[in-house]
Amino acid sequence: MSAMTLIARDELRLMRRNHVAVTAVLLLLLLTVVAVATAWTHQQGIAETRARHQRAANAAFEAQPDRHPHRVVHYGHFIFRPLSPLAAFDPGVDPFTGNTMFLEGHRQNTSNFGDVLQSSLLVRFGQLTPAFVLQAAVPLLLIFLGYGAVARETERGTLRPLLLQGAAAWSIVLGKLAALGLVAGVVGVPAMIGFALIAGQPGASIGPIALIIIAYGAYLALWSVAITLVSTLVRRRRDALLALLAIWAVTVVLLPRVAPDVAGQIYPLANRLQTDVAIARDLRWLGDSHNPDDPHFARFKADVLRRYGVTRVEDLPVNYKGLLAIEGEAITSRLFDRYARESYAAHAAQNRMVLGFGLLSPTIALRQVSMASAGTDFGGHQRFLEQAERYRYDLVQRLNQLQADQVSYADDTAVDAGADRRKRIGADHWQRMPVFTFTPPTPATLVAAGLQGLAIIAGWLVAATLMLTAATRRLGAK
Amino acid sequence: MPLWMHEAQLLLRSRWAAAALALLAILSAAAVAAGMAEIARQRGAIAAIAPAQAEDIAAVRAFVDRSKDGGQAAYYSFHPTWDAPSPLAFAAIGMRDVAPYILRVRALGIEAQIYDGDTFNPELALPGRFDFAFVLVFLAPLFTIALFHDLRSGECEAGRARMLEAMPGAGRLWWRRAMVRFVAITAALTIPFLAGAIWSGVAIGAIILIVVVAALYLLFWIGLAGLVSSRGRGSTANAATLAALWLVLVLIIPTLANVVINRTNPVDEGAQIALAQRENVHRAWEIPREETMRRFYANHRRWSDAPPLTEAFHYKWYLAFHQNGDESVAARVRAYRAGLERRAAAANALGWVLPSVGVQALLTRLAGTDLTAQLAYQDRIRAFHRRLRAFYYDYVFYDRPFGASDFDKAPRYRATG
Repeated sequence: MSAMTLIARDELRLMRRNHVAVTAVLLLLLLTVVAVATAWTHQQGIAETRARHQRAANAAFEAQPDRHPHRVVHYGHFIFRPLSPLAAFDPGVDPFTGNTMFLEGHRQNTSNFGDVLQSSLLVRFGQLTPAFVLQAAVPLLLIFLGYGAVARETERGTLRPLLLQGAAAWSIVLGKLAALGLVAGVVGVPAMIGFALIAGQPGASIGPIALIIIAYGAYLALWSVAITLVSTLVRRRRDALLALLAIWAVTVVLLPRVAPDVAGQIYPLANRLQTDVAIARDLRWLGDSHNPDDPHFARFKADVLRRYGVTRVEDLPVNYKGLLAIEGEAITSRLFDRYARESYAAHAAQNRMVLGFGLLSPTIALRQVSMASAGTDFGGHQRFLEQAERYRYDLVQRLNQLQADQVSYADDTAVDAGADRRKRIGADHWQRMPVFTFTPPTPATLVAAGLQGLAIIAGWLVAATLMLTAATRRLGAK
Repeated sequence: MPLWMHEAQLLLRSRWAAAALALLAILSAAAVAAGMAEIARQRGAIAAIAPAQAEDIAAVRAFVDRSKDGGQAAYYSFHPTWDAPSPLAFAAIGMRDVAPYILRVRALGIEAQIYDGDTFNPELALPGRFDFAFVLVFLAPLFTIALFHDLRSGECEAGRARMLEAMPGAGRLWWRRAMVRFVAITAALTIPFLAGAIWSGVAIGAIILIVVVAALYLLFWIGLAGLVSSRGRGSTANAATLAALWLVLVLIIPTLANVVINRTNPVDEGAQIALAQRENVHRAWEIPREETMRRFYANHRRWSDAPPLTEAFHYKWYLAFHQNGDESVAARVRAYRAGLERRAAAANALGWVLPSVGVQALLTRLAGTDLTAQLAYQDRIRAFHRRLRAFYYDYVFYDRPFGASDFDKAPRYRATG
């Protein structure tokens, strides 16, 4: 049996004898089970509720009576954001974003009723999810189990005899590292089994799952190496423990909170009021449908008349009011898209900056990989917002087209007693409108979104390993 | 030189301890500065409302002035409301980074407007704010653990403990040593806060209360450190045990409690309110208009002497069915709100037994940044919206012309309601 295996066995035996360590491992396993179970049932509950609400909204839309199409434009539609299959493992921003949106003509509403606004202050303490357990709690446990690995030998003076007996420094350090890595595997596996159960859901695909497993594996490996490294560099056990606790507090607790603050101050977002006012301003500039003398709409009218070869809108074969609605919607939607693009760009700049802090804190990088691969990062929410806007535009324009084709201009402008009845079109039209279905991102998109973060963790792992190699060499030279 | 001065010198001569205290002071100062920058940004956004609003309303004024139709004025005019941060908000941002603190409303159905959010980056909000409350609740205990875990065991390990305890007044030695560390850590933590609070004009009573609470919270952790140390194990075991306790008390129990509270107090009504209100509003197009007016006048006698509807579209009918729609979901709105209040109350109850939650709850309550404050802001919006409605109804129901000068008579939101 090699010296390294002996050392690893000895280290594991010592951990087993340490009652505090055993209790901590058991508690952590319990915590993992609780986190997997609650995250799983929570996700099932959310998915079920949103699906139920979506069915109710679809049913309400289709059950509308005969109506004027423009009434339906304002009746609008509610859509609910489906949860991504891996959200039970890492819900990411899901609790922080609204999960329902009201879609209507020429207005862009916010997504509302997010968990964060419906929860007590406790929601800001963090989310008990398998991802949180692996990101924060497992490294702390590894610190408790591993801080003394080499420092203990140095402090007690048992290192030198070991070396003199012929054990190579690298086999000592590697043995300790192997023992710690094994423990990391043992405590990480239940969360990963939970993850596998979650990943067994329909819709989850292998690429993002593999990326998440690799990233968490690399992250726990990084902590194992870093703990062994500090334990090798520091001469006293207590100093090793305090140094590691400080590293943990800074990288896991402090920096993830500082980074967003910095990013938020450097790249401020325009708030809704300013955006709405700016859109209204641009709209007046582009074309004000309220203004009878507006140049844009005067030109539009002339174009339409020329195209159909008539001189009055009354003579058009289609309803001019419907055409106006189509044109108006096209103008406002172009503005919505432009301002949304600006806002998304600012969000992206903020998130890139936070990821940059991953160079200081691997936990930040891991969170990014985890959320991006699970489809629960801001990119995932943005996909929902973009698809919602596309659906909204398509729905509203279909209804406007119905107004142009199915409602006569004469009826549409009439105000007599029977006019209301004549303006309405059949209820069957609403049933023929497409329902909103969220197109999930492709596995390649999710993987690509997570690669940057993974690269940072890999860089950290390589750097820590190189440093451990150097420290081991020094240990042997003593 | 008094003995406690010697102790203070001893403390600062330890490189570990001095570095820890300096770091805590820096973090506290940074958190106070970050909180103040965020609140300054929010105040700036609130100050920027007026010019933007003036521009927006001028355009509405220009085209409504042609028709003099109060209904159009009501339909197209958005009126800003805002939730000005309290002087203390910098110390505990609470929900202010995710909950809207500016919301524009118009005199249509309030239930379709009041739950709207503002733009924020959820990825930035996810980890929580870096503010004084965070430094106090999350970080200060770690520093306390670092300074107190080896208070006695360190001397044992250095072989001095027996000698020290054999000396007269030994009991007071540990007491004095603990006092010096306690005062040092409290000072490092609260002096930046004091500076920020005085600069922001926080009431003296609130300042004192927070400093006392901060000190008590530290004492809790010191007591815990003493309890763990009294079991007579080594410094290292003490540090490990205390850090594990920190993880449980500050991270795990609160997150677990959040799951339990949200599960036992479901609030499912939000989406239902939105769906039901829309249904009831749009139903008005399908039923006789007189029925809508009868129902509206039954609840609002003040306008019941208005002239009856004619064949043509009239905004009074439109506004009436919007209000009917709001009133039709009043029970659900109450249930929704009661659910939110139950959640907040449950968390506050936990605060009485769990110091980390208690301190956070107290700070956000004093700062007016918690869920209760958010609900109070919604109440102010609703009160303002009632005034808006009454203002426009007086024009629309009696066909009083709404001229350019009438825009200036519209109710103004007052930050205090």
